[in-house]
Parts: sequence; structure tokens; C-alpha cells
Amino acid sequence: MKKLNSIFIIDDDPITVFGIKKMLKAITICEDISDYKNGKQAMEGLKERLQHGYPCPEVIFLDINMPIMDGWEFLEELVNIKLPERIIINVITSSIDPIDYKKWNDFRLRCWHYLNFKNKPLYKIEATDLSRVHLAS
Amino acid sequence: MKSTKTLPIPYILKQLPNATALVDNHADLIDASDSWYALFDIDRNEPLNLITFLKDHKDIDKDALQEILSTNANATLTHSTMVDARSNWFESTFTPWFDEQENAIGTIIQTKNITDSVENTVELDRIKTLLKAQSEVAKVGCWEYDLGTEELNWCEVTKNIHQVAPDYVPNVNDAIAFYKQGYSRNRISMLFHKTLEKGAPFHEKLTIITQQGEERWVAAAGKAIRKQGEIVKIFGTFQDIHEQVMTDKKIRESEQLLTTLIDNLPINVFVKDKDSRKILVNKAECDYLETTPDALLGKTDFDLYDKEVAQISRDEDLEVMRSNKSMIGKETINVKRDGKTTNFLTSKIPLLDLNGKAYGLIGMSMDITNMKQKEDQLRNLINVTAIQNKKLINFAHIVSHNLRSHTANFSMLLDFLIRETEEKEKKRIMKMLFHASDNLLDTLENLNEVVDISTNVNLDKKSLNLSENITRMQQNLSAFLEENQVEFENFVPDDLTVLSVPAYLESILLNLVTNAVKYQHPDRTPIIQLRAIKQDSNVLFSVTDNGLGVDLERYGKKIFGMYKTFHNNKDARGLGLYIIKNQIEAMDGNITVSSEVDKGSTFNVCFNEEIE
Repeated sequence: MKKLNSIFIIDDDPITVFGIKKMLKAITICEDISDYKNGKQAMEGLKERLQHGYPCPEVIFLDINMPIMDGWEFLEELVNIKLPERIIINVITSSIDPIDYKKWNDFRLRCWHYLNFKNKPLYKIEATDLSRVHLAS
Repeated sequence: MKSTKTLPIPYILKQLPNATALVDNHADLIDASDSWYALFDIDRNEPLNLITFLKDHKDIDKDALQEILSTNANATLTHSTMVDARSNWFESTFTPWFDEQENAIGTIIQTKNITDSVENTVELDRIKTLLKAQSEVAKVGCWEYDLGTEELNWCEVTKNIHQVAPDYVPNVNDAIAFYKQGYSRNRISMLFHKTLEKGAPFHEKLTIITQQGEERWVAAAGKAIRKQGEIVKIFGTFQDIHEQVMTDKKIRESEQLLTTLIDNLPINVFVKDKDSRKILVNKAECDYLETTPDALLGKTDFDLYDKEVAQISRDEDLEVMRSNKSMIGKETINVKRDGKTTNFLTSKIPLLDLNGKAYGLIGMSMDITNMKQKEDQLRNLINVTAIQNKKLINFAHIVSHNLRSHTANFSMLLDFLIRETEEKEKKRIMKMLFHASDNLLDTLENLNEVVDISTNVNLDKKSLNLSENITRMQQNLSAFLEENQVEFENFVPDDLTVLSVPAYLESILLNLVTNAVKYQHPDRTPIIQLRAIKQDSNVLFSVTDNGLGVDLERYGKKIFGMYKTFHNNKDARGLGLYIIKNQIEAMDGNITVSSEVDKGSTFNVCFNEEIE
């Protein structure tokens, strides 16, 4: 089983958060899973980690529709933050609006991090959602 | 008693006043009167043979002459001479000359100069021929009525016009009966008798029915001829003017048709000369300019319109006349002196003379102001529809997204449940499923609320006292307001009313005030200020708080969006502002916000007071 140091779940829906956590248990061992209700809280958490030199998340599950700071706004800020490692960001949404897919693609092209696009409902988290290293090798 | 002296015969002969000559049986001249010698201008002393002499004359039957003289017959001959290119006509009468024993001893010849008479005859014939020709060509006939004999004479042309046979003999009654019954017959009868009694001349255009039943227009004229003051005859002319009248009538009819057409066209028609002066205008043009044709003729656009508009029109005129090319269907705007603006669809067509040079133009303008207005209305409607459509699509996305997220949760949880073996975990998942179900019901309720506003087209707006409604809201919220120690500063005039759906006004007040309290600043007692002012056709109502404020630069676009919350507030549904915005817009009003973070916010609601 793949071992991960840190995972962020950013979603205002507690059921989705519950689901992701449950699915993660099946595929990985991670001691440090943090969940946030919106982008702002997550950004604050991330900055705190950077400030104190705590490990940054290797994988982020990011919802788009959230109050106060949505997923896109979070990504926009993340692009401008200097991070030691590339993060795998799984954008998760129930939206089937093509505009959201296009936005994701725009971010994918200009973002240093790895971006995946996943539509709800989720049933399983794949290995590729958590790691790129294996793919490359 | 006086004795008579007998003169010798030859001397008597010499003095005879009529030209007389005596010849013997050989036609040798024995003697003649002085008048005879003078007639032919010959010398008395020269011997002369008549046959030889007359042989030189023209137009004489020489054989007859020989015969007459040799047989001493009674006869008359005419002959002529040419003197200085003028014909002299003579008539000679031959009578045998007897002696006492009744022996024919020669012939007595009496000669008359008949030149004048012959010339008169020729002239008369010529004039008659001319008159006949003239009357035939001009179709002018004549007639004559003799009061004495009561005879009526028609010339050939008059008969032709009546279409009667050449030997037809008319009388006054029949002649009058030819005229068409009614006006024509009554009129001619009256005129004829007036001429008969008083000698008044007449000239009238009337219709007759010819012998062959054709109806034709004629010009009949009559004039009395007097002899020693008494009317003895009536002479008149009679002319067929049918074609002329018909042509005139046709021209008048075409003219009438054209005038009727031009005048009744719902298009302004005008003809301008080279200097853009109007030389013809129709009724529509006169109506548009609220004047008469006489007042418009000779006027230019500069006399009628705003200077700028007139100059544009004049430039168009010049271009049309210069290029000889029509200007078709151009949209123009006319501004009258009184400032009234009209949209026209104008065409200008050059009027060309025989050399192909423009000497003016025909203009046609159709008033399309109404169409233009309709077009604008339609465009507005399209804009409104486009906005509505955008709203609908937006709403559809919200619906699909919200429903999808809940169903996705159901799907995921059910998937977990099926594979879960542990009882405790199963219960946990079941609890989650109930939670998801409640969420879905909530969402459906919210959406229903929004749909209600959007679909409620027949809004029952009432004039409501704003102050009373504020008081009622305060009473309803009294517990909540007291708990939060809210201070109200109400500046709304007591008598101010707004036009609103009662339920919507309640919702607007409730949402704005609860929002102001919910997002209060933790360090301050909430103060809410209410203001309202009546403007032209609106009432501007504002709610100002001293709360957290919203970062409008960041959230400005989303503040009235559905499911948008900007503070970590447990009660925030992200629905209140979305709903009241929909309610306000459904009543043709609008809502705006101004805010500063940590200072507070002001929501401005504009109620539309116009009654549709």
C-alpha cells in the first residue's frame, strides 16, 4: 500500500469529505489527512505549514463550488505560491458545465502541479490519483 | 305737230350703245357701232372679215361660227381674248339680217363683255369647293332655317354627322328629336326658341343619338339673320366633337386618377425643381407639414426644416441631379421647425429633359417612425429576453449542479453500504444517507421558492406604507433583534408608500435586516439605519449597517448569486440575497450594494412606482 505523508481534502460537503476519507483508507496509509470547508481555510492551513516548515500535502482533493473562496480562487492563489514539491491536485465536482472543464484545462496548462479532473460521484480512488512517480517509471 | 326726221340707218347703227356689228353673207364686216370697235379696240377704217377676226379668239367653236354665219342662224357663242395676261370674256349673239323682201342678206352680231360675270362664277365655284372641303375636313357642317317657309336645310356634313341619307329632308322637330333625351334635348330646344324669338346666338356642346343609334358629342351653334330688323333666318354650324370630347374626358379621367392616386398614397410625394423648390406636393406631404399645397409650392427644405436636415436633403438632391442616379429607400430623419422628429424611408428619382439632363426630381418619403419605434421596442424585448434566457440557463446550471451533488452523494454512500460488512460502519453510512436526503429536500424547497418568483408573471402590486411594514417586521423579529441588541435608526417618512407585492416587501425587509444582524461586527453593537426617498418614478430605500462589510472587489459579482456565502456563518444559506434580487427585479426594480470591509454595508433598493 502506498504511503503518503499528507493529504488535503477541501470540500464544504461533509458527506463527500467522509466518502473520500473512507476511500483513501482502502488504498493508502496516511497519518495526516486534513479537511477544510473552503479554499480560504485550506490556504490558511497551507501557509501555516509553510511558515512552520511542516510537510506540505502531496495530494489535494479540491471541490469547486464552495462559499467564501471557491476551488478556482484557491488554485489561482496556489499558482502564485512557491512550493518545494509538485502536488497532485484532484479537482472534484458535480458540475457537468463544459465551462468548468475548460477552466480546469486552462489551469492544467499554466500550473506547475499535476491536475486531475474527477466528476462526482466518486466510488474509488485510483493509484494515479495519488502518485505520478509510478507512472513515469 | 312735229314732223319726224328719218335718220339714215348706218348712222343709227354707229350710235347704238350695245356693241353691234353687221356682216354680209361672206362674213365681211359692213358696219358696226362705235361701241363694237371700242370693245375690240380696232380701227373703223380697216376692212374686216368676222370669221378671220374671231378665229384668233380663244374658247370659240370655230365650226359653229362658220355654220352660223353661212346659214344665218340664231345662236350665241362665247369667246375670249388675252390682253396683258388677263382674260376678257365675250358673249356674241347672232341674229339673221333680212331686207324688205325677207331675204337674208347677212347677220347682226351683238357682243357683250361678260368677263366680270365669268370671273364671279369661277370665284363662286372656287369658294364653294373650298367651303365644302373645309367643312368636310373640319367636320363642321351647317344648317339654315327659314322662318318664312319653315324649311330646315342641312348641309352634307351635317347629314353625315346625323348619319342620315344624303336625300334626307329634316324639319325642326325631327332635328331636335335627334338630341339625347334629357339635358341635351331640353337645352337645344330652349336655345333654338330663344334665337327664334330674341335672336340670341348660341354655342353649346351636347350629345345626339344618330340615326344609327350612336351617341356622339356635337357642338351646335346658331345665329339669327335679320332683314330690316326682322329675324328671317337662323343660320348655324354643327360640328362633330365626339373624339375631342372623349379624348378630353380620357385625359381628365387619367388626370383625376393620377391626382387621386398621388393624393391618397400614404407616402409623401413631392416634385422639386433644379433649385430644390417644391413644384408639386401631395396630400400626405401637406398633412405632414400641416399646411396647404399653395403654402408649400416654391418652398425649399430650408424654409421647412431644421437647417442641418435641410442641408443634408439639398446635398442629396444635388447628387441625384448630378449623377442622374436614383436614390432608393434611404433612411432619413427630418426635424421640423417645431422640433418634431420623423423617420422616413426616402427615394429621389431624377426628372430628365429630352436631352437627358436633370431638371428636377421626384421624391417619395414613407413615414417609418412607428416602425422604427416598434423596432426599438422589439430590440428592447430581445435584450430583456436575452437577459431572461441567461438567467434561465444560469438557473438550470444551479439546479443541475445542486441536484447532481446530492444524487452523487446518494450513489457514493449506497456503494459504500453495499460493500460494508461492519454493522457499526453501516449505521454510520445510513445516518449519512438520511442527512443527504434532508439536504436534497432543502435544496428542492429553495429551488421551488426561486421558481415561484420567476414564474409569477401576474404580480399583484399594491401601494404599501413602508413605515408600517418596517414596524411589523421589527415586531416579528423582536426576539432575534433583542438578543442581538440591535439599534434601529429609522429615517423613513411616515407617509411614504411603495408599490410592491406585500409578500415580497416583507421578504426584502426581513432578509436585509437579518443579514445586517447576522454579519455584525464582533466588536460593535449592531446599528441599522433605514432611509427612503421618493424620486421621479421610484422610491429609493436603503439599509445601512455597521457590520463586517464585504470585499466587493472580490465578491462584488457574486454577492447576489445563488449559494454564495462570504463569511463563516453557520446560518448562511447563500439564498436570501439571491431571492430578494429576483423579487425586486420581478417588480421592475433593482438592488445595489456598497460596502467597505470592517466598516459596514449599504443595500439600496429601488422600487419602481410606475403603474403599467
